[in-house]
Amino acid sequence: MNADSSADDLPGQPRVLLVDDDEVNLLLTSIALRERGFAITEATSGELALAALAGGLPDVVVLDALMPGLDGFETCRELRVLPGCESLPVLMLTGLDDDASITRAYEAGATDFFVKSTQWSLLAGRLRYLLRAARVRAELERSKSRLARAQDLARMGSFDWKRGMGGPVFSVEGLRVFGLSPNDTLAFRPLLRMLPPDDRSGLIAVLHEVIRHSTVLATDVPATLRDGRQRIVHVEAEPEFNEHGNLVGYSGIVQDVTDRRLAEDKIRHLANFDTLTGLPNRRQLIWRAERALEHGRRLNHQVALLLIDLDRFKIINDTLGHGAGDELLMEVARRLRSCVRHSDQVMESTIESMGSRSHRTLEAVGRLGGDEFVALLPEVVDERDAERVAQRILDLMREPIFVGGQECFVTASVGIALFPRDGTSVADLMRNSDVAMYSVKSAGRNSASLYRPALAGQGREKLELESALHKAIERDELVLYYQPKIDVRGAKMVGAEALMRWRRNGVLVAPGDFIPLAEETGLIVPLSEWAIREAARQARIWQDNFGFADSIAVNLPSRLFERTDLVEYIHNAVTTYGVPHHAIELEITETGLMKDLQNVIPSLHRLNEIGVEISIDDFGTGYSSLAYLTALPISELKIDRSFIRDLGMTPQSSAVVTAIIALARSLGLRVVAEGVENLRQMEVLHRLGCGVMQGFLFSKPQPPEDIETWLQQTILPRKAPWIGKADEADMAEVLRFPDVRDPRAKPLG
Amino acid sequence: MMSNEPVSASGTASVATGLDAEALARLTELDPKGENKLLERVLRAFQTSTARLMPQLEMARLANDRATVRLVAHTLKSSSASIGALELSQICAQVEAAIRAESADDLEPLLQSLRHTLEAALSAIQRLLDGRP
Repeated sequence: MNADSSADDLPGQPRVLLVDDDEVNLLLTSIALRERGFAITEATSGELALAALAGGLPDVVVLDALMPGLDGFETCRELRVLPGCESLPVLMLTGLDDDASITRAYEAGATDFFVKSTQWSLLAGRLRYLLRAARVRAELERSKSRLARAQDLARMGSFDWKRGMGGPVFSVEGLRVFGLSPNDTLAFRPLLRMLPPDDRSGLIAVLHEVIRHSTVLATDVPATLRDGRQRIVHVEAEPEFNEHGNLVGYSGIVQDVTDRRLAEDKIRHLANFDTLTGLPNRRQLIWRAERALEHGRRLNHQVALLLIDLDRFKIINDTLGHGAGDELLMEVARRLRSCVRHSDQVMESTIESMGSRSHRTLEAVGRLGGDEFVALLPEVVDERDAERVAQRILDLMREPIFVGGQECFVTASVGIALFPRDGTSVADLMRNSDVAMYSVKSAGRNSASLYRPALAGQGREKLELESALHKAIERDELVLYYQPKIDVRGAKMVGAEALMRWRRNGVLVAPGDFIPLAEETGLIVPLSEWAIREAARQARIWQDNFGFADSIAVNLPSRLFERTDLVEYIHNAVTTYGVPHHAIELEITETGLMKDLQNVIPSLHRLNEIGVEISIDDFGTGYSSLAYLTALPISELKIDRSFIRDLGMTPQSSAVVTAIIALARSLGLRVVAEGVENLRQMEVLHRLGCGVMQGFLFSKPQPPEDIETWLQQTILPRKAPWIGKADEADMAEVLRFPDVRDPRAKPLG
Repeated sequence: MMSNEPVSASGTASVATGLDAEALARLTELDPKGENKLLERVLRAFQTSTARLMPQLEMARLANDRATVRLVAHTLKSSSASIGALELSQICAQVEAAIRAESADDLEPLLQSLRHTLEAALSAIQRLLDGRP
């Protein structure tokens, strides 16, 4: 073997610490080895050798056995305890005739011995062999420790089991998985005892089965370690066969998969449960409902699905903030849970193994999202069962809920659908419980209703209507009609009320047919915004065409007044068309105003400040605390048409109208009578002191261009039958009701 | 006494020097061109080594410290063999063997001959170093 080429597979120049007290031999050996590619450090005694080692490790130590002071053996012994020298190769040089030294050399921890010789290439060859062996050994150690480390990180260890040779033999890492130290052993029985009793027989059965068929073993076992920790250990092993193909044992791994299992459980939980309320989510509910229907089909019983929607939750969310809204949802969730035999612990695996009554565990309340909840009753005898639960839910909602430092009252609307009567799929039941829930909403909320097929048509129609209404604005299908407000004495138009119409497929849809839906769906907001812009645009056209300088009144739902950007929106609208702020007047119904008074007032003030006047519509129908009215920045009261209709027919109606006019006067408000249809009503109103009116008697709501025609053809020529009548009434009645005269009326004389 | 000429054993390494020619030739092989003055360095190392070892030997002999006597003999055995002082190496081996065998014999005759032989070897070395025949 060529010395140089064999040196190639060793890293660099191998470093040799040469220790010999014989200077001649030391010199010769080191020259011979240097010549053969080694880097030599010389030491003339054991003490010096140890000192040299402390300064840096060589790849190999060549040690003369017999030296004064520390001899080779003692040096070797001391060297072995130095850090990093445990497996440093040490070659001991002995005399040819010195058998005792050879034995002592090994005892002292020498790697090998070499008889002193002047055959230097033999020594060099021996050294190379030692170095290569050491390197292979170091690599083995490294990969072994890497494997151990990897297994440790993976909380994994290995084991072997040989048939007929007792229990499994675990690696150190394998023992650690079971919480044991490297010196412990783990026989099969103690291992079994770590398992809960139920799992023991299970594992034994699995092992028997696997061994009988010589198949791969893969199972998870729960184990209680000696220190009491509960772990889940994954066991996986492959069969080993001898040359005859007979099973001789298994070898495999054990792994602590507790953390992974916990993570999986967590993920499964996140995927199936609502994070806010902890209730099953839509996905989990649908899964449960599907299982419940399967059971219902098999066992021939009914299943009920209750859709629970909170009433006016959006208002709470908008006014108290989302934090409070979330708090409220959590409390609602807690209450809903108590209404059913709620079970969180339903997983694919358990439901299979629980027998015929297992569907009971499906019973749950879940959250579909937002303020929508579902109660699933996996077995009901009849609809009364479901209604009882619904009633329990409604009752529990009655208690006030404290959120955001405030007492809130929440009601719910519950729609009930039964399998199989109201649907045979989860989707059908969901849809039909939704239809039933909506029927509760439209009937005034805070109640429960069973699905009836008659509701379905309405639902579908409504759905179509809703989607069409969504597109109405962009398709330009909405129009404003205008009804003039008339100063009857002066026979002139003093303003107009804008009324929305929807020209859908060429047919005019009445406001009563789409405004409630728009309010319910929130579409009322864009609709109203459009109306404001459109009214401003119209005011400009009229201003240009005939010097219109009054207000166009736009009806706004109270929720729009809650918008902080309303003032800005109006400002932008009038500015766009170059009309003053007072060109737009806003009408809010009395009920709307009273319902959200606290939220509406700030807006009213800001509107008033910029000159936008506020009119209270349908006045007299609500339950206004009159004290409020004095504090509100309003300009006008509109007497509800129901009082006008009865005017002159029932004494009460004229009493109410009288009272409203008196109130308006004392507050300095204008008063407008709506729905004036005949001369008699006009005369009475005028007599009572109301001079501004609106109604068919004067003009029905019309497109804007028709209003102009009407002005030109009826008002200007004073051609209407009502013109002139007011003056007569005025003259006749003024003496009788001096206190309730219209403040705008001309003074007597 | 230092010579700038490289010490060479070729031809001159004879029985006359008292050093084994074959051993000297092996040493020369290690440094064929004499670039490293190997032979000279080895011979000088032997001189230094014996100058250290012989007093140790005498002290140990006076103290009847046979273990040290044995160690010195052992060391001298291999280094003298290396430079071709074969007779000296032989005597050292006898001393070592006698002590290992725990022989009750008086070592003095052996040691006496060791001294004489070493003396001869050292003067042969000196001659070689001086370049004298």
